[in-house]
This record gives sequence, structure tokens and C-alpha cells, in this order.
Amino acid sequence: MGGDSKIRVLIAKPGLDGHERGAHVVAYGLRDEGFEVIYTGLRQSPEQIVSAAVQEDVDVVGLSILSGAHLSLTKKVMDGLKAKGANDILVTVGGIIPEEDKKNLEKMGVGGVFTSGTKIKDIAAFIRTKLGESS
Amino acid sequence: MRNSKKEIKEALTKWEDEVVSPRVKKFNLDKSPTTFYPPLSSDSSHFMEKVGFPGQFPYTAGNNPFEFWRAYANFAAKVGYRSEWGGTGRSGKYGGFGTPADYRDYLLRMQSMGRIGGPNIAFDLVTQCGYDSDSSFAEGEVGRVGVAVDSLRDFAVIYEAFTGPLDIDKVPSNFTINAPAAVLIAMYVCLAKKRGIPLEKLTGTPQNDILKEFIARGTYIYPPAQSLRLFRDTCVFCCKHMPEFNINSIGGYHMREAGATRVQDLAFSMANGIAYIEAGIEGGLEVDEFAPAFTFNAFGGSMEIYHEIAFQRAARRMWAHILKERFNAKDPKSMQIRQPITAHIGCSSTTLQRPLNNLARAVVGGMAAGMSGGIPGAFPPFDEPLGLGHSQEATQLQQDASRIMVFEAKVTDVCDPWAGSYFMESLTDGIEKDALAELKKIEKMGGAVAAIENGYMQRAVAKSAYERQKKIENQEELVVGVNCFTGENEIDVSINRCVEATYDPDLMKTAEERQKANLARLKRERNGTAVGSSLKNLKVQAENQDKNLMPAICECVENDATLQEICDVLREVFGEAKPMKI
Amino acid sequence: MVEEKLKLIIEAARDNNERALAKLISHVEDRKHGWKDVMKAIYAKTGRTCVIGVTGSAGAGKSSLVGEFAKKLADLGYRIGVIAVDPSSPFSGGAVLGDRIRMRDISTNNNIFIRSMATRGMLGGLCQAARDVVRIMDFAGRDIVIIETVGVGQDEIEVVSASDYVVLVTYPGGGDSVQAIKAGVMEIADLFVVNKCDRDGADIIVSEISAMLDLSADAGEEIPQVIKTSALTKEGMDNFVDILSDFIQKKKKGPHHQKEHVRQEVTSILETEIVNLIKERITGNGNMEKELELILSGKSDPYSIADGFVKRFSVIKKLEDKRKGGFQ
Repeated sequence: MGGDSKIRVLIAKPGLDGHERGAHVVAYGLRDEGFEVIYTGLRQSPEQIVSAAVQEDVDVVGLSILSGAHLSLTKKVMDGLKAKGANDILVTVGGIIPEEDKKNLEKMGVGGVFTSGTKIKDIAAFIRTKLGESS
Repeated sequence: MRNSKKEIKEALTKWEDEVVSPRVKKFNLDKSPTTFYPPLSSDSSHFMEKVGFPGQFPYTAGNNPFEFWRAYANFAAKVGYRSEWGGTGRSGKYGGFGTPADYRDYLLRMQSMGRIGGPNIAFDLVTQCGYDSDSSFAEGEVGRVGVAVDSLRDFAVIYEAFTGPLDIDKVPSNFTINAPAAVLIAMYVCLAKKRGIPLEKLTGTPQNDILKEFIARGTYIYPPAQSLRLFRDTCVFCCKHMPEFNINSIGGYHMREAGATRVQDLAFSMANGIAYIEAGIEGGLEVDEFAPAFTFNAFGGSMEIYHEIAFQRAARRMWAHILKERFNAKDPKSMQIRQPITAHIGCSSTTLQRPLNNLARAVVGGMAAGMSGGIPGAFPPFDEPLGLGHSQEATQLQQDASRIMVFEAKVTDVCDPWAGSYFMESLTDGIEKDALAELKKIEKMGGAVAAIENGYMQRAVAKSAYERQKKIENQEELVVGVNCFTGENEIDVSINRCVEATYDPDLMKTAEERQKANLARLKRERNGTAVGSSLKNLKVQAENQDKNLMPAICECVENDATLQEICDVLREVFGEAKPMKI
Repeated sequence: MVEEKLKLIIEAARDNNERALAKLISHVEDRKHGWKDVMKAIYAKTGRTCVIGVTGSAGAGKSSLVGEFAKKLADLGYRIGVIAVDPSSPFSGGAVLGDRIRMRDISTNNNIFIRSMATRGMLGGLCQAARDVVRIMDFAGRDIVIIETVGVGQDEIEVVSASDYVVLVTYPGGGDSVQAIKAGVMEIADLFVVNKCDRDGADIIVSEISAMLDLSADAGEEIPQVIKTSALTKEGMDNFVDILSDFIQKKKKGPHHQKEHVRQEVTSILETEIVNLIKERITGNGNMEKELELILSGKSDPYSIADGFVKRFSVIKKLEDKRKGGFQ
């Protein structure tokens, strides 16, 4: 990474789920870990998330979903990123994700699933490690 | 012989020096890990003014000497009553999924098993946000967190499960709906009209608490001020036409879950409550005409049992004073906080790790409720954080825990058992004082709406959530099995869980397609002209701030205008709420 | 010389590829290897763009306003770049960049490219990096670049001085919104917008600002307009867009590179370079410890120490100039 570079993370809430606590906490937390966090807010369509990810040239896209619609929404985001040639972006998912769905998400290409009780430090470390591996 | 204040004060200092300090030193601590509250902590000589008897102003000790459920408790034990299934005249289990027909069939199946409570409906996010199932926002969300309702026709399909002995004049209807509450209430009204049931017979509760959506839950549509106008219209309409129907279920539960501190919860709830009361008065009502129909949605939300008891007491006292002094309420029911369920630990206090521990946690919440005037419910069931529905085992344990607290521990045989405790009175006073200070801040900004428009409440909640996370991550706050006692010697106790196949996954897969087909068929079969003209009329009415929109909304609903068509008209007039920058 | 990989990205960015544009911006913002060569290579092809700076205190609704008028300008056929600036945390160096929250409606608009930038806490660094990103967006074919800043402070005044047209946004109920407008910004704003005019007090603010402008204007000097808008009710938005369009048309006809801006650009780059040099060679990395001890022990003072450094520095400069044959 260059002299001034920061890890840029996009945190997005796709779909209509309005519970922002987790997204807020992770956004503030990663800021305090030295990351630049672009928070899109609620009601993002997969297209809006992909567009933001591309324009902001983020290293990571973090999706926060508590409505149960995580499989369909994540798939759409992954497909969208691929279509824009941006599938090298690390995608993580947080929220309410049942155990068995974690494997399905990983099959889609999701790099990590972070649910209740995860420490922010661990998310930051995970991201640094993953990005370090690919650079 | 009586001890004077001076005597006790001297004894306190002596005790701190001779007993506490040496002990603290002995164990190499900075300070004592415990506190003790001698009679100096609170002035309990103002019993009548600050506590009062249960059922008397300021209701600190409770709304009544005993609630209806306590009256029937022993009877319920003998007949093996299961509260979560309701019974005639009572609400059934909270739920909803799929298309209206899916949910109706599920309800009929439940009823055949003896679960005959009234509809307690969860709507999908599409409905909650004022969209139809064929909207681009609806993809992947139709029928997921609740049932999809796009029109009166859909609403009526659900209610095909409630006829005869379970018709809507015999069972209450609960709607967890906020931004488009006016439309759902209109559907209820139109359904009653269709069935020839007088509106005065309708009972139940709509959540109808839009202000907390901006702060904590996110299913808002219109900007705060315009949303209050809609609330005003529902308030006046319900007051005048549906006197037995509650107007709302408001309060801080969601804000606390979103991260608000206890003090913020109380202050913001009072601020929102004040805004709603003001809206009703702006609509031309006398406070005692409608305030008794306000309810609160289970205040609570932490493991700190003493503090949650104090919170309930402080909340009751605060609301009573606000209604009496600020709004000149005379009816006790205006001044009381009516909550069907009260204190509890909050879902965010449960852990995904070692989930059976959540039962122990829920009991703490139940004790807080039982000792502060509520039903000691062990909420939520231990498998809540697993996100796959509550199992029969968890529900059974939840029910039994509650029963044990009532019948074996006899926790609810005493009203406000902590009244007069130096500690509890001091704690209650403290929470009230801090909440009043926070409320004053909000009043200075111009009230709840202003504090939402400038993002104050949203940011405060987000900040508190982050503070708590930091405390947990650096072990300032300890959560068992999460940030402590996580070594290899701990075991994850598990039991076989049987989650009742309530929501058929196959039905869920096709719900969106089927509901879109329903919608398409509706649009073909209805009278388009009537729809168009009633929507036009709604727009004209909406543009006039003084008009009550309920009659116009009812007309749209009756003509089979869809939920989104109605909400879109209002979007044109009111604009859409802008999300808040954090 | 620009390396091959970068050349491809530069071409792709010029060719309307969003991802390439984004990557190019990151490369330069991060000061990655070869970034200066990139800037040197693209500079000649810039100067077409009209830069609109939007400033004003927090709560004025800048982001919503930008979202609204960007959309309208995009509908008129302009290709727009938006740079939204938020402060970095002085403690961790990280940042939460939340301006996109208010721009959801335009985030998939084909004619609008939005980039969030953190101030990254560098003295003068913001201004330079933001200028660079403006240049890159210019190079990539954006007709208009809108820079939206944090609030009203020194950094913001600098960023905004890199703009062709400055809009200052204020609002009723913003506390001392008019008093809070620092003199520097008042002077460089071309247009004053009183947003949230659906609220009480908007007209009072309009008159207060107009009065201040009248007082500080010289006789015969044209004073900037003061208009009312509401991003919520859309009141005044058409008028706002008309005023901007007028300006944009005028700018298109004028010279490509304004002398004053270019002077400021060179100055800014130079200042950044020298400050970095000072940090590297003198004040940073424990290089000053001996000198600091002298001050603390009463044997010297900050002024003398600084003088000493300047002397040393000009010696270094002379040596380097000799090597490069630079100006004296």
C-alpha cells in the first residue's frame, strides 16, 4: 500500500431492513481502527451498493442484513460486482445469519460472516489479514 | 428510639473508615465493589407524593392493586391456560408470513389445535414501508418478516380465519404497523363495515408509533412532521369512531434495543409521547378523550434488575406528572402507562453463544417485571438469537419459568415490594432526574420532531450503542460466554430443539410470485375509475393540513386502491423522509 | 514516466470507465508510487470542468441540496462528479464518510460519479488531494465537479478557493448560522443559499445576509445573490439550478485555465512539498530532540532554533538546486 493509503470499507444495508445498530457500531469501530468507512444508510438496492463500491474503490463491502433476505440480496450484490469487474472486492456479511446459511454465503464468494458477539477488533484483523494476503 | 440524620451520617462515616476502607485495602482494591444505601439516600417521608398507593397518583407503585391476569392466575393454573395462544377476547401469538392465504391457512390450522387468540399480525417489510409486492423494493422481501398485505382484499383474506365465534367484534386485532398505520386501520374499518359490525365493537392495538421509527427501527416513509399529521388523523378518528380500540403502542423498547441508554429510553419515550398527545390535542380533542387509549410497548431492555425496576417506577411517575401538570388530565387512565407486558431483558441482552443461558437471563427480566407491577414473563425464549424461530422447548421453558415466578416464588403477591427501600427510592429518583434533564434538552430543541429532524436522537442512540460495544470489547462490561468464561473448560449445553414448522419454507419460496399474481389480478378486476378518483380526492385532502385523511383513505381502501398507491399519493404531497447522516 | 499498468487505467478513465476512474483517484489520493507522473501526464487535458464548491455549517443540508441539484444538472445532460469531504478522526486516522446517505437517489445515475474523501488530517494536504481529484474527474470528462465540504473552517476555505463558483449554504435555526460564517468564506462565496426555507426564520436570514453583503461591498460592486431553497419541498430548486447553469455556460466560454487558480495550485503544491520536507528532515522522527532539550533547559528558545533550521535548510536547498539546476 502507498504512503497515505487507508483501507476503505463500504457498509451497506440492502433491502428494507431498518435495524442499524450493528452497522453503526461496526462503522464507528472500524473508523477507530483507522479505516475509512463509507456508510450508505438504509434501503440500498444491490445496484446502489455496487455503484458505491466501484466509485469509492473500496477494499471491502460489508452487508448488514437482519431481515432474513440475506441469501438473495447477497447474491445480487455479488453478481453486480462481478458484472462491473469488481469481484476482487472482499465481501463480508453481518446481521442475523443462521449457521447453515453461512456455508451458502461462503459458496457465493463471501469472505466472512460476522454475527452477534463478534469483536470489532477481530473484524479489523480479519480484513487486514485478507487484504495483506492479496496484495 | 429514632435515629436522627446527623447520627446516621456520623455512623456512616465511621463505618466507611472502620469497616469498608480496611476491607478494601485488605483485598488490594481501589474501591469497594458493592454499595450500601442507608436511610440518608432518599427522603421516604414523602410517601404519598412520591410513591403513593397502587392505583393512585403518581402511580409509582403500579396502576392497580392487581391486574386482571393476577385475578385469574390461580384459575389459569388449574385449567392449564397457555397465554401465548390467547383465548376468546385475547390476542394470539405474534406472527405472519407469506401471502394472506398462507397466513390465513396457518391461523386456521392453529385454531383447530385450540389456539384461538385474536390476530396479532406481523407485516412484511414491503408493507411496513408502504410498498406493494410488485415494487422494485419488494424483491426478496415479500412475506418474509411478516405477511404481505397490498390491499383490502388481502386483509380480508387473512380475516377469513376470524369469523363466527372469533369474529372481529369478539377478538382483538393487533397490528405491528407504523408508517402506513392509517391505511391498515382503514382496512380494519372497511372490513367491519363489510361485515356489518359496528366500529364501536372493535378492539385491539395498532403500534402506530412513527417517531421511534426514525430513531430506532427504520420503517418510516414521510418526514417526521407530516408523519405526525397522519398520526393526528388516526388518533382523532379512533377516538371518535372506535372508542374500544387502542390508539397506539409507543415507547422505548426499540430505542433501547437500538442502543439507547436507560435514561435516553425514558427521556425519548416521554418526548415522543408528548408529541403524540400534542398531536391529538391539535386535532381538537380533550386529553381525557384519547389519552386513556394510549398504550406503551413493554418498556425494558437490560439485565440490570434493580435499575429496570426503578425505571418502571420512574416512568410511571414521569408520565403521570406530564399528563397531569402539562396537559391537565383528570382521568387516571390518561395518566397511567398501560403496558400489556412490562420489564424484560430485551432481545439484545441474549447471546448467540451458549444460548441456554438466555433462559437464566430471561428470568432476571421476569423478576424485574414481577417486582415492578408487571407479569413476570421470561422473555424472550432462549433460542431467540439463533434466528430460526422459537422452538417448542424454548417456549415451554419460557412459560414454565413465568409460572414458577408467579406460583412458586410468589413474586407478584406484593405490589411494588421495593417501595420505601432507601436504595430503590434513591435509584428511582436518580433515573427520573436524569431523564427529566435529557427531556429538557429535547424540549429546548423544540420537542421530539425537532430532535429527530436535527438527528440528535438518532446520533445519541448510535453513540450509546458504540459506547456499549467498546465496554464489552475491553471487558468493562462482562457478558458470560461472550467476553468472559470462554475457556476450553466451559461446555456448550444443548438440547434437542423442535421448531414447529409454522412457516413452510416451500410456501416462502413462492410467496413473492403468488402475491404478485394476486396483485395483478386485483388490478384487473377492480374499478379503475373509482380507484383513480378516490386517490385524486386523497391528494386534495392531504394538501390541506386541517383535513382528517381517514375518510379519504377509507374510500381509497374500499375501492381496492393498493397500499402503495395510497402511500405514493401521500409521498407526492408530504415528501419522503431523508435518512440521517451519522 | 507513467508505468504501463497505470497508462491503461488512465486511458480507461478517459474512456468513461467508472472503475478505472475510481482506481486512478485512489492511486493519486493515496500518493502511491508514480502518482505525480500521473498528474503531470493528464494535466494538459484538463481545464474544461466547472468546479462548484459547496460549503456551510453542519446541519445546513448541503448533501441533500447537492443531491438535488446534481440530479437536475445531470438531467440537463451534464456529466457530473461529486466530491464529498468528511473529517478524519485525529486519533485513529480513520473516518466515517456519510455523505452518500443523503445522495441515495443519485447514486446509480449514469451521469453522476460520487466520491467520498476524508480530510486525512494533513496540513494543506486536503486541499491538494481534493484539487488532484478534481483534475482527474476533469480529465475523465466530467463537465461539472461539485466539492462538498465538512463545514466552515480553514481547510474548507482552501478547498473552496479551488472552485470556480462557491455556494455557501445556511439554514434557519442553525444557531448563529450567520455569525458563524467566517469572514473569509463570506468574501469568496458567489451565491448564498438559505436552505430548509420551509422552516420559520428563512426570510430573516436572507435579510441579514443581504445586509452584511451590502455593508461589505464597494460602491458599484455587484453583490452575490441570496436565495431560498428547500431540498424537502423542492422550493427554489429550479431557480438555484438556473443560476448555476448560467454560471456554467459562462465558464465554458471563458479560458480553460484561470491564472489565479493555477497560481493557487502551484502555491498549494509547493507548500505541501515543503511542509512534508520539513516534517521528514527536521521536525518529524525525533530529529529535533537535541534542539528541544536546549529549549527546555533554558539554553535556547523556539525562535532561535527555528532560525537555525531555516539557515540549514537553505543550505540543503542550495545543494539540491545545484544538482537539478533549478531556479534560485
